[in-house]
Amino acid sequence: MKTHVKKTLNSLTGKLILTIGTLMVAGSTIFWYFLIQHQEKELLRNSIKYGDSFIDFVEKSTRNGMLTFQQILIQQTVEAIGSAEGIIRIRMVDGKGRIAYSSIKEEKGTMLDKSESLCMLCHSKSGESVKMQSSSIKMGKDGYRVLNILHPIYNEPACYTSYCHAHPKEQGILGFAEADISLSILDKAIKKQEIAITAYVIGFICLLSVILCTILWNLVSTPLSILTHGMERVAAGELDYTVKIDTGDEMGDLARAFNAMTFDLKKAKDELVEWGNTLEKKVEEKTEEIKKAQTKLIHSEKLASLGRMAAGVAHEINSPLTGIVTFGHLLRDKFPEDSQEREDVEVIIEQANRCSNIIKGLLGFARATSAEKGLININDLVNSSLNMVQHKADFFDIKVVLNLDESLPPLRVDASQIQQVFLNMIINAADAMEGKGTFTVTTRKVVENGSSFAEVEFNDTGHGIMEENIPKLFEPFFTTKPVGKGTGLGLAVSHGIIQDHGGRIRVKSELGKGTSFFVRLPYYEG
Amino acid sequence: MEKGKILIIDDEDIVLRSCQRALSPAGYDVRVAKNGIDGLKMLETEAFAVVLTDLKMPDLDGIEVLRRIRETWPDIEVIIITGYQTVETAVKAIKLGAFDYIEKPFSPEQILSVIRNAIERRTKQ
Repeated sequence: MKTHVKKTLNSLTGKLILTIGTLMVAGSTIFWYFLIQHQEKELLRNSIKYGDSFIDFVEKSTRNGMLTFQQILIQQTVEAIGSAEGIIRIRMVDGKGRIAYSSIKEEKGTMLDKSESLCMLCHSKSGESVKMQSSSIKMGKDGYRVLNILHPIYNEPACYTSYCHAHPKEQGILGFAEADISLSILDKAIKKQEIAITAYVIGFICLLSVILCTILWNLVSTPLSILTHGMERVAAGELDYTVKIDTGDEMGDLARAFNAMTFDLKKAKDELVEWGNTLEKKVEEKTEEIKKAQTKLIHSEKLASLGRMAAGVAHEINSPLTGIVTFGHLLRDKFPEDSQEREDVEVIIEQANRCSNIIKGLLGFARATSAEKGLININDLVNSSLNMVQHKADFFDIKVVLNLDESLPPLRVDASQIQQVFLNMIINAADAMEGKGTFTVTTRKVVENGSSFAEVEFNDTGHGIMEENIPKLFEPFFTTKPVGKGTGLGLAVSHGIIQDHGGRIRVKSELGKGTSFFVRLPYYEG
Repeated sequence: MEKGKILIIDDEDIVLRSCQRALSPAGYDVRVAKNGIDGLKMLETEAFAVVLTDLKMPDLDGIEVLRRIRETWPDIEVIIITGYQTVETAVKAIKLGAFDYIEKPFSPEQILSVIRNAIERRTKQ
């Protein structure tokens, strides 16, 4: 409880309420004090004015009596007026200090005490006479204040010409009229008013404080606590959280700015996270690319060393093969036609030639690097390749369809190498179709990643390629052809040649329906 | 029946023997050399119609032998024997004035055909 109060007092609202409250109490107190002072002064001023009028009235009432020297009448008049409510005493003093008349009978005829203020007024300084009336306030016996009014009675012709000759002409002041009027009614009124004003002021302060507290609470404290709560949530990582303050004032602006900041923060964080994620993905992609490049490099290195080895082997083996073939022929011619021996020697010659063909295939690798490129029409290459094989027995029952795009520009290629690739494709298709079906060659332009390529599609209606064999197609020595028919080097060599030309070979195959090889070569940008 | 003198230069014995066995029965006088230097020496002392030379040999290769023959004996036809055919060497050989080239392994019919063509051209000149 204690800490709660302390916290409230320490809060902005608490401080504001405390400051404004203190200022208000101080202001109201000053206002209250001056108001009361002013009121009292005003009342007192009026009282003195009435006191003066009253003493004037007493003088006028007794004037006739004075002029006609009717002492009893004067005394009676003074007594009558003095008996009125609030009048404590009325007396008239002559020039010698004797109380000539008084509303208090016992006083009549007695001399004034020398210490009385009345005497001091005239005789304070020797020979100096009093100029005018005076008024003073003293404390009464009943606890209320008493207004004392003193009025000089001046000598005038009617006085010194009166038959009684009581006053000589030279005398300036004949005496004094004095009245003591109780201010109890005034004091009571003032007290009442003081209480009323105090009550009003306190009430006003209380009311104002309540209103002030309510306003401050609604305008400052509540929005601030909402904001603080929001900041705590955001700080805890809840970046979707928005502060709901829809006012048009500064608090609303602050909330909107805060929400905008949170939104930006979330956006930045999201971007950062996404960046982190894509970075990981990019690293993965790059790693994969590097792995692929490495594999390719190893592959091409393998092929290169294979090529070098093949060249060496070819040189070494072709010489003994020459001996086998030559002497085989010589031996064969020694046996009569249709003899078993002649047939056996034929097998020897045939197998020696097969060895030579294997060597030739291997040499494709060595040759792939020594390309002699020129500007060549791809359609012409397709036609000449087909012409080379079409007359062969394997093609007699195969329908050849050509869909050639005549608008293809000439490409910069090594004609003999590309022809080797095309021949490979054609021979493979013929093998796959086993002598019958439709063989379609299509040339077209394709655009990939903003680069233009010429694509040659070799489509056959053969037996198709088993899916598990497709990735191995371009590996050296991989073949599905019967032993002795394929070396397993045709596609590997073709792949090397096309890659060397900046292109690639794709395969699409369906078992039982056929296969398409797509050979893609880049446009020449020269 | 003397058809012409033929010199075979090859570092491989079996090739020399194969050529001899393929050409001799056809009536050609075949002489052999085991390397380019020996072959050139023989050319200095004897007259040949056709020279068959291997491309890849130690000391002096077939291209060099071809160049020397072209310089010194321009009327001798030279046929290059290659262990394996490459476009460049074939083009180079033909450019340097070789009559033709023949790939190993070759059959007796093939070598006879090439020699026949070479002699035919020589007699036409």
